[in-house]
Amino acid sequence: MKLLRVDMDQLLVKWEVVPAAYERLGGRALIARVLLEEVPPACDALGPHNRLIFAPGLLGGVNVTTCGRLSVGGKSPLTRGVKEANAGGTAGDALGKLDIKAIIVAGQTAKDDWYILHIHNDHAELLPAGDLLGLGTYATSDTLQERYGDDSTVISIGQAGECCMGGAGVCVTGEGGQRSNHAARGGLGAVMGSKGLKAVVIDKPGPKLPEMADAELLRNAARTFAQKLINDPKLGRSGTQHLYGTASIVAAVNEMGSLPTRNFSDGNFEGMGTLRGEHLREVTLARGGEVGTRCMPGCVIACRNVYVDESKTPIVGTLQYETIALLGSNLGLGNLDDVARLNRMCNDFGLDTIETGAALGVAIEAGQAQFGDFESIRALLAQVGEGTVLGRLIGNGAVATGRVLGIRRVPAALGQGMPGYDPRSLKGNGVTYATSPQGADHTAGNAFGARKEVNPLGVQGQKELSLKLQIIAAMLDSTGLCLFARPPIIANPQLMVDMINGRYGWGWTVEDYNQFNRQVLRTELEFNRRAGLTAADYRIPEFMRTEPLPPHNAVFDVPDTELDAVFEKL
Amino acid sequence: MMASPGMIITVDLAGQLSRSLPQHQVLEVPSGATASQAAELLGLNLEEIGLITINGVQSELQDILKPGCRLCFFPYLTGG
Repeated sequence: MKLLRVDMDQLLVKWEVVPAAYERLGGRALIARVLLEEVPPACDALGPHNRLIFAPGLLGGVNVTTCGRLSVGGKSPLTRGVKEANAGGTAGDALGKLDIKAIIVAGQTAKDDWYILHIHNDHAELLPAGDLLGLGTYATSDTLQERYGDDSTVISIGQAGECCMGGAGVCVTGEGGQRSNHAARGGLGAVMGSKGLKAVVIDKPGPKLPEMADAELLRNAARTFAQKLINDPKLGRSGTQHLYGTASIVAAVNEMGSLPTRNFSDGNFEGMGTLRGEHLREVTLARGGEVGTRCMPGCVIACRNVYVDESKTPIVGTLQYETIALLGSNLGLGNLDDVARLNRMCNDFGLDTIETGAALGVAIEAGQAQFGDFESIRALLAQVGEGTVLGRLIGNGAVATGRVLGIRRVPAALGQGMPGYDPRSLKGNGVTYATSPQGADHTAGNAFGARKEVNPLGVQGQKELSLKLQIIAAMLDSTGLCLFARPPIIANPQLMVDMINGRYGWGWTVEDYNQFNRQVLRTELEFNRRAGLTAADYRIPEFMRTEPLPPHNAVFDVPDTELDAVFEKL
Repeated sequence: MMASPGMIITVDLAGQLSRSLPQHQVLEVPSGATASQAAELLGLNLEEIGLITINGVQSELQDILKPGCRLCFFPYLTGG
């Protein structure tokens, strides 16, 4: 495998043999190591010393179902620590097929000097991108696919990334004109913008697979893995995930009193019935939209939807749970059409819907719009694209918005907005938000669904549960696996070990794999420590410790001593 | 119908569990009935139930229902 080094100071690209220290790493694991080795931890996340890294997981590009995610990483302008966010689409698969371990972007261009990086097999070059400046991610993707073919992959930022907004994500295209896969969290779009990189285009690679150490071992394990996913009651063709998508959990999270509502002031939303996954499916099918489609080539779960308006015109694909929670109930909106329209605006600006939903909730609390009033919220969000001061505030996320508008009820941890589970009623997620080196991020260790193990309203056992989930998440994000595909690997880690040994011939045991996953977290925690982040930076906001959340009137009461002890057994 | 004395509860079903049943209904169950008994009365396949809540609190099949409670059955779900 090889590395592609991109120097934005000198406008040079260079292929490099993968250094030994990076050889057995991929995705999130590789990002953590590159940050520790190459980035001064206390550097300005938007300055020339940060790195922007694009990396497929260890199983990218070898036709293992659900393993084609692209990890994007760097030091986060929001958390000031390590950040990895990943997306579906075709980028992870394409880079894997080209045998590219990572693209590492350093330096930054002169002000207002913009480029795209174009990769065609073994050839890579930086090309001027002035004509794309100011375009949203839809128009950027359209323009570049017209130029390089509609089977090419475009990784891009919108206006939010160009303006270095902390809520900016990175957008990745997928099969068949798919647009809205986002490595959304932590402001990595701003890091991309700070480098002067508007987009990366990867021409479709040929069908040839990279060389395998033991193709039969990989094939057999991959086949078993796919079959287990198909047989899983949650994930197979008759499973909730396939039928209703990620929105399948709206009703359950609401019933458990954890659905963010009106800036995290309630755990139940009275308008939930028209936001739930069952309703989404019904409306989508009645209007001629799509459900049960896939975001990555070869995915057997297929939980994606294309949400359309009454004239069958797509508004957004895909409309997901976190977006429904943060841009829906959190803003007092109970109409999926409204949520989908805000979702599309965020996608086009290249904004994380979680961060932006959290920021909008805070801004509404400050009187800048009204809960439940779509038009006032749309106008507020539109200001991000207009570049007004208020728009830049929203685009910079929940913490910036709260600070400037004088609101202390800000749902964030480590500078990053909270996802769609209020931690007062789902305390395991609170422990993850308050300890993960990634900040408030549900994908770093989601306790929803771990019902048999720990009472979500109780304190007991949350520390151990979160650690277990965080280790699993580190594995998922480093192999390129979709997080929904975790059950067969959790049940039988040997399956993953076989796939990795089949691909690389490393002779791993289950214990090697376990240590690999733990090492990801150790490396990330070390980077954050060197960056100057302390326990106090990670804490759950004070209002969640004192303000009871209806309907259970729960507060976040996991003691700090428990939080500080989460990684004792790492 | 149920033998008296019974009690009235409300039942909500999610996802595939409401394929051939209403999403929301009022149900009479015997006093002291469990969530499992309510599920059987409705004709639900217990193997399809992934999550149960009683008045918004995560519960198990053997948990005992109270008059007027809200019982919800969900299929297997995964958070993401």
